[in-house]
Amino acid sequence: MHKANKLLWAGKTLLFAVPIVAFAVTSPARAQCDNCTKQDPKEILQGLIDQTKSPYLSQSPQNLMMMDDNPAYFVVDDGKDLFEAKRGPKKVSLEQCDFGKGPGTLEGAYAEMPRYFKDTGKVMHLETRLAHCMKTLQGISKDDPEMKNKNEIRALMAYVGAQSNGYKWNPPMDHPLEKAMRDAGEVMFYRRASVLDFSCNTCHGEAGKKIRASVLPSVKEPKEWTKAVSWPAKRVGRATNARTPSQRLYGCNWQMRNGKINGNSDAAIAMFSFWTDAARGESAILPDLKR
Amino acid sequence: MYRKFTYKPWLIALVSLVPFVLASGHAEAGSAKKPDYTTMSAEELAEYLIFEAKGYDIAAKTQEGGTVGDRLKQDELQKTCSKLKGESVDGETAEKVTEMAAKSIVYPKGGITLGDWKKGQALVQNAFGFRVGKKTDDHSKRETGGMCMNCHQLEKSMVDRSGTVGPSLIEYGKTLGMSEETKKHTYKSIYNPHAIFPCTNMPRFGVNGILTQEKIADIMAYLLDPESPVNK
Repeated sequence: MHKANKLLWAGKTLLFAVPIVAFAVTSPARAQCDNCTKQDPKEILQGLIDQTKSPYLSQSPQNLMMMDDNPAYFVVDDGKDLFEAKRGPKKVSLEQCDFGKGPGTLEGAYAEMPRYFKDTGKVMHLETRLAHCMKTLQGISKDDPEMKNKNEIRALMAYVGAQSNGYKWNPPMDHPLEKAMRDAGEVMFYRRASVLDFSCNTCHGEAGKKIRASVLPSVKEPKEWTKAVSWPAKRVGRATNARTPSQRLYGCNWQMRNGKINGNSDAAIAMFSFWTDAARGESAILPDLKR
Repeated sequence: MYRKFTYKPWLIALVSLVPFVLASGHAEAGSAKKPDYTTMSAEELAEYLIFEAKGYDIAAKTQEGGTVGDRLKQDELQKTCSKLKGESVDGETAEKVTEMAAKSIVYPKGGITLGDWKKGQALVQNAFGFRVGKKTDDHSKRETGGMCMNCHQLEKSMVDRSGTVGPSLIEYGKTLGMSEETKKHTYKSIYNPHAIFPCTNMPRFGVNGILTQEKIADIMAYLLDPESPVNK
């Protein structure tokens, strides 16, 4: 199936260059995400569009058409291989990593992150937790090539993420640190600064608003916001096949003229705590395909 | 000896170390070096995460000659408007912010004049400048812009590429005319829009040094000139 998917994608890319042939041939073809949980990501998005008629969710009919063959599905497959491979000095896989629902339980785990982890005493997000498991289980240190290979880290994140596809965002708020981080993230979301006086809310405070040609999601609309926070995702036209939440956060801050926010810092984790909380109750779309 | 006090750098260095020594001793007593987040207010924690806990590369240099840390420090107006958390402004805050903003406006010597609308058109579409990070905008390579089109519709022919975070400005000059009052209103709206619209989303292009007075004059010509595509 994996190879067939790849061939299909290559075939479709070719067919886009010949639209008439593409129209005739692609309509019956259908791929799906073998390594995603629950519904197909496309069906989740289509369901949200049907419910809301949101201009943000429906702004790219082309992307919706291509979601069946999202290139990020291959990244998920690669991530699965990496996840199950015996790696590092200890020659073990990541299968016993605890993402919050017990060692080895991946289904729905990412939809409940960031969360507090007793073993580290910290609120961690997917990226920091993954690094923690690579270190503790596999014995990989921060200067080792495995830890520095961003494509591999993205693939691992895409795989773990896809195991929460269709699960409702539900980050726990039971531990005082989880609440503290979420609340600090909220302050940061509305915190205006730098030479343009922007906060995240400047662009994400109201539904249906556009920056240039892009309709932006509103933090106040969970049915829009769930797509906004559904990373890793393929961004059409960008080089890598799965981009991470940290890359989204970095990109926004760069545009806001805020300089570089560090993706594994507690500041970033606080932002993710707030933005995941804002999508609470809606289904994650993982991996997503974005414009 | 009439100099009672002699400057002793070593003494100052030693005395200034005392709080650090005390603090580190205190931190070692606990299990972690970082403070207990749960004892801080959300605002205190946000400031701590941004400035103390390596949230941002605060030492990175900016184009205007400061650091990212300088940029992230809020001024009074930013602090005041952030407290609204996106809700519309209340009367008391509006009054405070309008007053603060009015004081900040510097008018051009010799009055407000209009520049070249064609240059203004280029500035309106140009969103280059002031970005810092993995890619940093090099101001010596390219002119910086006003990024107006990111948020405003200005020309009918370009609406599909124009933002809607701000109001449409199509036919701005046609609607408002070219009176001195209009010119003053427009200048203020660009230089510091909070003087008219307290806690607006719009940047303070003049106060924050994004647009020079010359560039503001060009953009104003683009908005007001009957020959500009805005008014056609």
